[in-house]
Amino acid sequence: MPPRVTFQPCGWQWNQDTPLSSEYDFALVNIGRLEAVSGLSRVQLLRPGSLLKFIPEEILLHGRDFRLLRVGFEAGGLEPQAFQVTMAIVQARAQSNQAQQYSGITLSKAGQGSGSRKPPIPLMETAEDWETERKKQAARGWRVSTVNERFDVATSLPRYFWVPNRILDSEVRRAFGHFHQGRGPRLSWHHPGGSDLLRCGGFYTASDPNKEDIRAVELMLQAGHSDVVLVDTMDELPSLADVQLAHLRLRALCLPDSSVAEDKWLSALEGTRWLDYVRACLRKASDISVLVTSRVRSVVLQERGDRDLNGLLSSLVQLLSAPEARTLFGFQSLVQREWVAAGHPFLTRLGGTGASEEAPVFLLFLDCVWQLLQQFPADFEFSEFFLLALHDSVRVPDTLTFLRNTPWERGKQSGQLNSYTQVYTPGYSQPPAGNSFNLQLSVWDWDLRYSNAQILQFQNPGYDPEHCPDSWLPRPQPSFMVPGPPSSVWLFSRGALTPLNQLCPWRDSPSLLAVSSRWLPRPAISSESLADQEWGLPSHWGACPLPPGLLLPGYLGPQIRLWRRCYLRGRPEVQMGLSAPTISGLQDELSHLQELLRKWTPRISPEDHSKERDPHTILNPTEIAGILKGQFHPFWITRC
Amino acid sequence: MLGKGVVGGGGGTKGPKPSFVSYVRPEEIHTNEKEVTEKEVTLHLLPGEQLLCEASTVLKYVQEDSCQHGVYGRLVCTDFKIAFLGDDESALDNDETQFKNKVIGENDITLHCVDQIYGVFDEKKKTLFGQLKKYPGKLIIHCKDFRVFQFCLGYTKEEEVKRIVSGIIHHTQAPKLLKRLFLFSYATAAQNNTVTDPKNHTVMFDTLKDWCWELERTKGNMKYKAVSVNEGYKVCERLPAYFVVPTPLPEENVQRFQGHGIPIWCWSCHNGSALLKMSALPKEQDDGILQIQKSFLDGIYKTIHRSPYEIVKTEDVSSNFLSLQEIQTAYSKFKQLFLTDNSTEFWDTDIKWFSLLESSSWLDIIRRCLKKAIEITECMEAQNMNVLLLEENASDLCCLISSLVQLMMDPHCRTRIGFQSLIQKEWVMGGHCFLDRCNHLRQNDKEEVPVFLLFLDCVWQLVHQHPPAFEFTETYLTVLSDSLYIPIFSTFFFNSPHQKDANMGREGQDAQSKPLNLLTVWDWSVQFEPKAQTLLKNPLYVEKPKLDKGQRKGMRFKHQRQLSLPLTQSKSSPKRGFFREETDHLIKNLLGKRISKLINSSDELQDNFREFYDSWHSKSTDYHGLLLPHIEGPEIKVWAQRYLRWIPEAQILGGGQVATMSKLLEMMEEVQSLQEKIDERHHSQQVPQAEAPCLLRNSARLSSLFPFALLQRHSSKPVLPTSGWKALGDEDDLAKREDEFVDLGDV
Repeated sequence: MPPRVTFQPCGWQWNQDTPLSSEYDFALVNIGRLEAVSGLSRVQLLRPGSLLKFIPEEILLHGRDFRLLRVGFEAGGLEPQAFQVTMAIVQARAQSNQAQQYSGITLSKAGQGSGSRKPPIPLMETAEDWETERKKQAARGWRVSTVNERFDVATSLPRYFWVPNRILDSEVRRAFGHFHQGRGPRLSWHHPGGSDLLRCGGFYTASDPNKEDIRAVELMLQAGHSDVVLVDTMDELPSLADVQLAHLRLRALCLPDSSVAEDKWLSALEGTRWLDYVRACLRKASDISVLVTSRVRSVVLQERGDRDLNGLLSSLVQLLSAPEARTLFGFQSLVQREWVAAGHPFLTRLGGTGASEEAPVFLLFLDCVWQLLQQFPADFEFSEFFLLALHDSVRVPDTLTFLRNTPWERGKQSGQLNSYTQVYTPGYSQPPAGNSFNLQLSVWDWDLRYSNAQILQFQNPGYDPEHCPDSWLPRPQPSFMVPGPPSSVWLFSRGALTPLNQLCPWRDSPSLLAVSSRWLPRPAISSESLADQEWGLPSHWGACPLPPGLLLPGYLGPQIRLWRRCYLRGRPEVQMGLSAPTISGLQDELSHLQELLRKWTPRISPEDHSKERDPHTILNPTEIAGILKGQFHPFWITRC
Repeated sequence: MLGKGVVGGGGGTKGPKPSFVSYVRPEEIHTNEKEVTEKEVTLHLLPGEQLLCEASTVLKYVQEDSCQHGVYGRLVCTDFKIAFLGDDESALDNDETQFKNKVIGENDITLHCVDQIYGVFDEKKKTLFGQLKKYPGKLIIHCKDFRVFQFCLGYTKEEEVKRIVSGIIHHTQAPKLLKRLFLFSYATAAQNNTVTDPKNHTVMFDTLKDWCWELERTKGNMKYKAVSVNEGYKVCERLPAYFVVPTPLPEENVQRFQGHGIPIWCWSCHNGSALLKMSALPKEQDDGILQIQKSFLDGIYKTIHRSPYEIVKTEDVSSNFLSLQEIQTAYSKFKQLFLTDNSTEFWDTDIKWFSLLESSSWLDIIRRCLKKAIEITECMEAQNMNVLLLEENASDLCCLISSLVQLMMDPHCRTRIGFQSLIQKEWVMGGHCFLDRCNHLRQNDKEEVPVFLLFLDCVWQLVHQHPPAFEFTETYLTVLSDSLYIPIFSTFFFNSPHQKDANMGREGQDAQSKPLNLLTVWDWSVQFEPKAQTLLKNPLYVEKPKLDKGQRKGMRFKHQRQLSLPLTQSKSSPKRGFFREETDHLIKNLLGKRISKLINSSDELQDNFREFYDSWHSKSTDYHGLLLPHIEGPEIKVWAQRYLRWIPEAQILGGGQVATMSKLLEMMEEVQSLQEKIDERHHSQQVPQAEAPCLLRNSARLSSLFPFALLQRHSSKPVLPTSGWKALGDEDDLAKREDEFVDLGDV
């Protein structure tokens, strides 16, 4: 079993259905602080040189995911074990720091071991997955490129990605060489209206491409559109170090014994800057969504590394613009595609390697998604609990999804590359003949760790897809898209569009390689009247001010909130009674009534049956807060 | 669009710092004069309302995102309101305007609602008051309900400008006599057509019967009696005509110090302990008088200390708690956060939002009030003590604290009728000086303290934290707060019941005339159509369930409890294995330090409070029992609906509470119809059809500001701060403009 601390309550039984599930599981890497308490003395045990000199009455495990596990030893003469257990945790934790990489489990679950198991979410590791997704998005001008099949263009890139139809693989290979770490422009998402959202790394300024290469790069960035907007992703967003610092501060603030006075809580929260960063991300994503939606163009997200903020923004933009991405399936595919397959360095960013580049960008993303969930409660199929489960999964060492930095490493581990490289992979994977990687489990195999009842709660009871007037179909909707002017190139930075002379930095004068030389905007001509600067939406957007499916989030100070259910979990006085989820209460009531009705009427038409739910599988989410809230029945009495 | 000059303001954080630039210049405005005159909007006057002055071709700015439009119209000032008569009202003639106030239009500002008036002189903003030597080009009106109006007077005739500006300033800011309140002219003129809502069962507490009824309801009639010693306000003008005192208290005692020093009953708890209030005896220097006072008080205390009365604990709310000065300062800082003249200004404060919020300490004051109320609740509920609130006049913080305690302890107060009766009992009859505290007469700015608003904000925190426990919604609280400034209702326009009765016309020269019939604010049909009133009612409120059903439910819930998700780690642990009972121990260990900061009094009190608070919060909530708010730092929030509703940037299209609401109502309907089916089968009897609020039914995408800010609704746009960004969808011009893009030069 993977390295972890687990607590098994009396009467706890190994559950066949959820082999890895335990409520009280703490992966060793997740332990942020370990405290032993005896009477009034209290020792922090994970600091170097700290020693346990007494038999603890209880120990407190502070999780880096904001959870808190408290174990008391007083009762029943457990003193000897108390000391041993505590020291064992300390030692194991120290060892796990020595960069022992856990390789994930590939166990086959009972009943699933037949070898033909399909992952619940396409892992985007095969060309078919990419082709299916491309068709789903109706991205006609694009094809799946196999140029990176052996990871020789870039190890951080997936084996397959989308490039424009017209570009040959040889051109792709050459063009990608001129980008930072070989991460050239690839399609992220095709807007049903015709626009394309691309992402790529920074231009590799030291290279000296020839004319044809430049032409290829330009064609790839243009993606067949005459209008190209380059978005500087790093602009106005926090740096990795900023994110890390903010997250550390937030964690310190949310500790149960944080010393911030109640009346200083708000400024302390502001001082972490975490919410400010959340806001900046939402704001930028909102702007980009408008860029993508307002006319047919190619929008290119450019970040030097293309592995952090690009993923964050591209995912947020899709969540805002594509109702499909707001379903449970769609969201998981989105994360798999834009984060896991796209090579977000999860292991480094979540502190798994001990390297200095730790920064929980992904957690920042989850917080942004939570904000959207708060603001648009009827537009998402998944619930806050799903987000929490995902949040808690990033450090659980069961699957490789979040435990590797690149698709290459992940593939290497799971044995799917054995046919290409003869690297011996130690660990649990014993590749059986044939479809070995089919057994590779991902984080999306929720049934490994969560019971059916819990997985049911991933559904947002308030989800109302008909909430938007037109159900959104991924078909071209050229009605509100107008073709742009020929060959216009823009830079979107600091909330404004600036015209650019050219797309690539190398073209005119190889001597002026400094990026700034070509990024200089054209001199401003201020002859336009002020009125013309107004954002004029196409008139046929009409009375409904937004095209169907597009969400524009609020990002003002008062609208960005603290994800209390996640961050304040360690503070019992806050988390109690966090919610009274009225909709789920109603749903509960509904199923109960339906059950009653069924009892009394043995013969009900089959249509009625379809509506019914099994009363035994319905779990009332009020229980999450552990609090019994409300009874919803006598509605008809309330009216007078 | 019709008659609108469209101008870009600098949007986004990077926009230029806002100064008070008049964004629209005459030459930039393209307006169709003909259409303006055709669409003249008529001024609706209430009975008794008189037009005082007016000005034409006034341009009202309509704030939209980063742009400002102008709408031409007439600005008028009557003895009731300032009104702008433009043409944009017609555009709003759709379903969503159902939540319309029948008395106050969208562009109406009652004179009492005006907070500050500013004039813009050559791009400088100045407060306007008194006699003006120079007249401004632009008028900015900040309202007490957080609307901000901007009127450009540049195209108005100079004579009219002078008249309207000085008229508005005079009628909103000059001190007034009580008799000149619009209330009286309205009541006189509308004498015969006052509508009274037959369903309005709010107890007004202006008769002996009402008090007896309340005594009976709370089972306080064993130990307390209603007295009519102050009938006709013979004893004291500060006290209501009827009130309740401990049974053994001799009635002469009431007269002794004109009602001061007398324990007056507020409410009785189910265990017999009661909440009392007392106005302090006048401060005296003379030792002799002090001696008399002391023996008098001793006598009083002996009366109420004796059996059957519980031990009395005295809470002096005028010292060591909160000063009115603090409330006033905090609120004036706090409200500035929301009164912004344009979007850019809002953006500027945004970065430091939390620290600005904190430095106003308004939320902290709310926390302190809630905490005090919990402490008192603890004394009464857990320690079985009587609590005596002591304050100089027993009419400010006494009202606030005692109402909060009752809201927490008495589920009846959480119904709409109960809440209205509570306000009637504690505030109106309790002699809260609404006239002075709201500064309705503009006689003394120092007396203006928003105690009642503070109370509503505290109630909002409770409503927000426990929505199913209240029959009314936050919208109800918001419109109630707005009603403070509508001078056709008598409720909030007197300092005491005596003052009201004295001015009802009985003392007038012709004794023949009927006493004036003043409207009460509780008659909501005066302000809202029945359809709009559904928004004041919480669809999720549950009336007290029948016992057998309650038990069944309880069983079911208990069973499910064991299936809880592990996501809430430290919470869900049952008493198995090594885990202990969470609530007591953990909190002592970890939170002692935190909670102790909440309490600055003795250790024992601290322990009691903590135990009470924690044990309540660790149990399941009974919405028909004791209800306590959370008071930790992250739990006290900004009443967004009231404070942010007019700020277009704060609007989330298709999002917010409204989005879940429609889903909820749909499910409720399903539940109802199923219930009916079952009942038909079971009892074969007809169940009265419930009327589901239908305001939200047809709304596909409302904004989060619903039902307010309808103004902005039809024109909201994506906010993309742009420069050199233009004419999307305007294909014809694109080629021509190719080279004309402009940037702000800050890239």
